[in-house]
Amino acid sequence: MNRIEERLQQVKERGEKAFITYMTAGLPDMQGCADLVKAQWEAQIDVVELGIPFSDPVADGPVIQASSYKAIKQGVNLRKVFDMVAQLRADGCEVPLVFMMYFNTVTYYGKEAFVDKCIEVGVDGLIIPDLPYEEQKQLQDVLDAKAGAPILIQLVTPVSGDRIPMILEHARGFVYCVSSMGVTGQAADFHRDVIRYLEQVKSVSRIPVMMGFGIRTAADVVPMKHTIDGCIVGSHFINLMEENGYSAEAARAYVETFKREMNDRG
Amino acid sequence: MSDKYYGEFGGQYVAETLMNTLAELERAFEEAIADPKFWEEYHYYLREYVGRETPLYYAKRLSDKYGTKIYLKREDLNHTGAHKINNVIGQILLAKRMGKTKVIAETGAGQHGVATATGAALFNMACKVYMGEEDIERQHLNVMRMEMLGAEVVSVHSGSNTLKDATNEAIRTWAKEAEDTFYVIGSAVGPHPYPKMVKEFQKCISVEAKRQFMEKEGRLPDVVMACVGGGSNSIGMFADFIDEPSVELIGVEAAGMGIETGKHASAMALGRPGTLHGMRSYLLQDEDGNVQIAHSISAGLDYPGVGPEHAYLRDSGRAQYVSITDDEAMEALAELCKLEGIIPAIESAHALAYAFKRAKTMTPDQAIVLCLSGRGDKDVHTIESYFSGKGYLN
Repeated sequence: MNRIEERLQQVKERGEKAFITYMTAGLPDMQGCADLVKAQWEAQIDVVELGIPFSDPVADGPVIQASSYKAIKQGVNLRKVFDMVAQLRADGCEVPLVFMMYFNTVTYYGKEAFVDKCIEVGVDGLIIPDLPYEEQKQLQDVLDAKAGAPILIQLVTPVSGDRIPMILEHARGFVYCVSSMGVTGQAADFHRDVIRYLEQVKSVSRIPVMMGFGIRTAADVVPMKHTIDGCIVGSHFINLMEENGYSAEAARAYVETFKREMNDRG
Repeated sequence: MSDKYYGEFGGQYVAETLMNTLAELERAFEEAIADPKFWEEYHYYLREYVGRETPLYYAKRLSDKYGTKIYLKREDLNHTGAHKINNVIGQILLAKRMGKTKVIAETGAGQHGVATATGAALFNMACKVYMGEEDIERQHLNVMRMEMLGAEVVSVHSGSNTLKDATNEAIRTWAKEAEDTFYVIGSAVGPHPYPKMVKEFQKCISVEAKRQFMEKEGRLPDVVMACVGGGSNSIGMFADFIDEPSVELIGVEAAGMGIETGKHASAMALGRPGTLHGMRSYLLQDEDGNVQIAHSISAGLDYPGVGPEHAYLRDSGRAQYVSITDDEAMEALAELCKLEGIIPAIESAHALAYAFKRAKTMTPDQAIVLCLSGRGDKDVHTIESYFSGKGYLN
């Protein structure tokens, strides 16, 4: 069974919510990044998303753009991230890993070779924001043909509307609910709209629904906690790492606190 | 739908957030181009406001010198100084029809930004133009023009701070604001239906040129050529000739300081297929699959990709793509000034430089039709510093 599916199943059986972080691969350096992944795994993170840096991250906001650019300047590339994942697995770290990347990075490496390498090193999922449902067949066919291939994670947005059933029909792993809305204004209207959207997704989804909205603390997800199966923190986690010198202790503490608070509060 | 692709190129490589927006745009575009009233209005503005049709000028002194007939399609005589306005009028009329109140655009050198700001002023729409921080410094006069026309110029500070990054930022903004905002893309690039739309609105160039040439020569031209950055003037110049197999089509890319130096903008010569700005096409990439920064003395050709239909025309063999260096283009520019009294845009001078080469293999009764896509007024500072550096002037 795929590590993501297995882990999220366990979380569900415990009646808990899952927690996912996103970090740009290769920061502060390859070894430091591997240490951060391990520290989070020890702190019971459920899935780690590794952003593969790309020169033109058109679906990312300013924080991830900046960290992506920084990683490229430091020479981080897909090949090095594969090596890092192979080492993590060799060290016994079994955290479910998702690559968040742009489609050009996949095709440049070669679709077949890329999928083979993902299977070889142990990559469990892929999030490719510039590969919408209609363009996925070319990659999905390659994934379907190989045992142990990573899951292509599906994204839905508040404007997906009637596309949601189509997108989720064969979706596996989890559904990534994204929004271009900010989460900063915690107005009641905002919560009502978000909850309505999440309920719509939840009503058609057979798999866990994860929300990623520019969340910072567990308190941000409390209002919609009963609708979702967990959440994803990206930009805020990167900022936190920047502010704390990429300290493994800071990563560990953040994950522990978030998970505890998300699962404690009513 | 198969018309999203040109062979293996094109498509809609955008975030899920934009998929319904693109579907809405495609529906509105297809309805508009099937509506004679839409075309009537478009042609009204092209005639009364842009100043079409533009002449197909027989450049006699050039022709005499190079030993074949050279005709120039004078897009430089359009309002705002280039072919860009043709497409802007079409897209803004479509935006109005869709009930949008705001337009956004990306710009490199500023020509498409100026054209969009012009159209926005004409049709009373709010306008924001995204421009790389570095380009804002290099193209200060065009920034002023856009501001005079009432547009807000947004400085983009990310990545290489140039056109490709400005395009990324425009796409990001569009994904957030699509409800009331129309994204006016300036070149034959982007996700479907943009490449099709830009071709449709630039097609007037070849429709006119074909008829004008027929009136003058009673036949079709032997060679049709245009410069290629993203490929909007060239796709417009090719459009009505694609189904005329006797007409040779040539696109001229920028070789910058020379293909061998790596400082160039020739996506077709050295790029490989990749995905950028919502499309799959030829793309300049480094050894990690990141997009490379293009180089050309001409800001308008300084783009690492190329429109997907051009990629298809190349691979199918229908059109040929060649490249011209900065030096060759500047020499051709100087020659057109002296022989014909026309100061061309540096972009267009690339096509000219190749025409001079191609002419050598042609006879006096054969003919080249070349798209003179823009005028060189915007380039006088670049021209001056180039020639003073070379010691040609002074």
